[in-house]
Amino acid sequence: MTTATTATAAERAVPGPRALAAGGLATLRRQPLLLVLALLVLVFQLSTGSFLDPGNLRGIATDAAALAIVAVPLALLVISGYLDLSVGSTLALGALTAGWLAGEQAQSPVVAVVGALAVGAAVGAVNGVLCCYLGLSPFIVTLGMLAAVRGLAQQLFPLPLSGFGDGFAWLGGARIAGIAAPVVIAGAVLVAGALFLAYTPTGRHVFAIGVNREAAYLSGIDVRRTPFALFVVTGTAAALAGAIKASVLDSAVSGTSGAGFELTVLTAVLLGGVALSGGSGSVLGVLLGVLFLGCLQNGLTLLSVPTFWQQMAQGVALVAGAALAYFGPRTTR
Amino acid sequence: MTRRPYFVAAASRRQFLTWSAGALATTGLAASGCSAPEGSGSAKAAGASPSPTTLSRIGLDYPFTQLPLYTTLVKLSTAAATKHDVKLLTTSDASNPDTQATNLNTWVAQKMPAIVSFPMVFEAAESIAKAALDAGLIWVTYGGTLENQSADIQFSFREGGRLLGEAAAKWADEELGGKGKVAFLVDNTIELGRERTKGMVDAFTKLAPGVDVVAQEQAIDPDTGLSKSNAILAKHPDLNIVLGITDAAAYGGFKALQQAGRKKGDAKTFVGGQDGAAPSLLAIKQGTFYRASSALAPQDIANAIVDVPLAVAAGKANPSVQVPVKLVGSGDTAEIDALLAQNA
Repeated sequence: MTTATTATAAERAVPGPRALAAGGLATLRRQPLLLVLALLVLVFQLSTGSFLDPGNLRGIATDAAALAIVAVPLALLVISGYLDLSVGSTLALGALTAGWLAGEQAQSPVVAVVGALAVGAAVGAVNGVLCCYLGLSPFIVTLGMLAAVRGLAQQLFPLPLSGFGDGFAWLGGARIAGIAAPVVIAGAVLVAGALFLAYTPTGRHVFAIGVNREAAYLSGIDVRRTPFALFVVTGTAAALAGAIKASVLDSAVSGTSGAGFELTVLTAVLLGGVALSGGSGSVLGVLLGVLFLGCLQNGLTLLSVPTFWQQMAQGVALVAGAALAYFGPRTTR
Repeated sequence: MTRRPYFVAAASRRQFLTWSAGALATTGLAASGCSAPEGSGSAKAAGASPSPTTLSRIGLDYPFTQLPLYTTLVKLSTAAATKHDVKLLTTSDASNPDTQATNLNTWVAQKMPAIVSFPMVFEAAESIAKAALDAGLIWVTYGGTLENQSADIQFSFREGGRLLGEAAAKWADEELGGKGKVAFLVDNTIELGRERTKGMVDAFTKLAPGVDVVAQEQAIDPDTGLSKSNAILAKHPDLNIVLGITDAAAYGGFKALQQAGRKKGDAKTFVGGQDGAAPSLLAIKQGTFYRASSALAPQDIANAIVDVPLAVAAGKANPSVQVPVKLVGSGDTAEIDALLAQNA
């Protein structure tokens, strides 16, 4: 009796091939981008022969880290029915603040990063107050902030900054257990985002607010505080990504740092199946969106595809992602 | 017990909008007061070429406001203009050809006595330049030549590329025995980029035919330069040379090579760019494998921005100038220091 019970438990613990296949199919059905990504990787590997080299994969992961760090909180914001288009400029301001503190002000790397995070949080707080508490359109507000913060960065730091010191270089160049520090940070952000969304009441509130704000309010959810916090976290994450980029490049330029980044990160979020109208999406989807863009960019470069074809390919990828998100099943709670 | 509704209280929102409108109106009035054209004075000049005594303002239309060079140029040109009792005004085109056309048309309508413009699309600027000349204004083309113009400030973008390409080819011949691998970070989106690219690629491939060209990738900023170079290095870890259309892009390549394990002073690696940007100049000065930059002296450009329209107004023959471009390497310490001082 005992033996039979143990055997049954073991059978339950180790699912059979049929169960595994069913689980895999269910995942594929929820995340159709996974299949597209797998095909993309296969095509690039067969055509270049070096796509899956460890060095190249490390390069893709490091390049995609900053994108992932911002994409996760932005996805949560979009799920809650809001949007932040100012992340590119916030990234630039964060990069410049961190670089200025580490370089010209000779502050410790910790102070430099904390300073950048504070600046990013401040930008996010302004966005949050205007959108969540004053009810202004997130599209207009964050588009305005995109220009205003860029202008502020150029006014404060008109000339390029460089030479931030070896200590600050740790943030972008160090390896933790053989993995680049930015990738470790991005991994932590992805895990935290997934846990927050799946296991916390506030995570469920994010979906509820995105699906129907009025219904969420009537059910007792504070429909302003949660999106406000997400704006602050998104701004902070953008500044962190900026500090990482400044560390990697050992330089920051106010006019060009993070230019166009807002569209790239939004593309990753939408490719990942997050609905622009709010209420659905997942962190796994965002990870796939980030990896898809990273692999696409890298593979096209490896294949020496001409510039304008690369732009076309990226545009087509966005449309394909939007179609997948529209026709595929939605992840809601 | 009462809770505020999830939407914003109407009163507070109205107050906010009222304050915002007030602030915007005040800012607008202040801005228009600050930048008001010399209305009547300009009107007097209409239909006739301004004389040296009437050239009190020069409009500088440099569209790439995001580039560090913009700030440097405005600062140095303003100082140069002040020496001649001339006021320097600027546009804010934000690298947008449509915005540039709008701003230039506004200046022509306002009768800005002299316009120095760097057209993003030369063909599109032709009609605006003609309108300016028809209105009796001075039109100086920056970075090229138009059919309708009073004079021009020329830079040989192709020459800058050629100098860099030749220097890299010479280095490859001496240090690599004419073999190795090169990646070009290029720009094919604007005329300036195409010229620099052609000069750089043609000169290099002609003088170093034994070096394999493994990539030609679009990159003008350090971020793109870094990610493209990372991808190229994954396929060609033995890459020797990275040449950039801008110093910014080349600096991204420089960082990618370092992250791939290349020592800062690696004898078998060459990175070079164009512009004379401060981070690149510092890297050259420190004796790293960032070995060369085709640099323009901002002070020379600033002087030309003021001197050329003044020369046109004074009726001088051949007022156009060619701003020299110079290749700087690790041995040119004094030159690098001078360039860094101008960029400070």
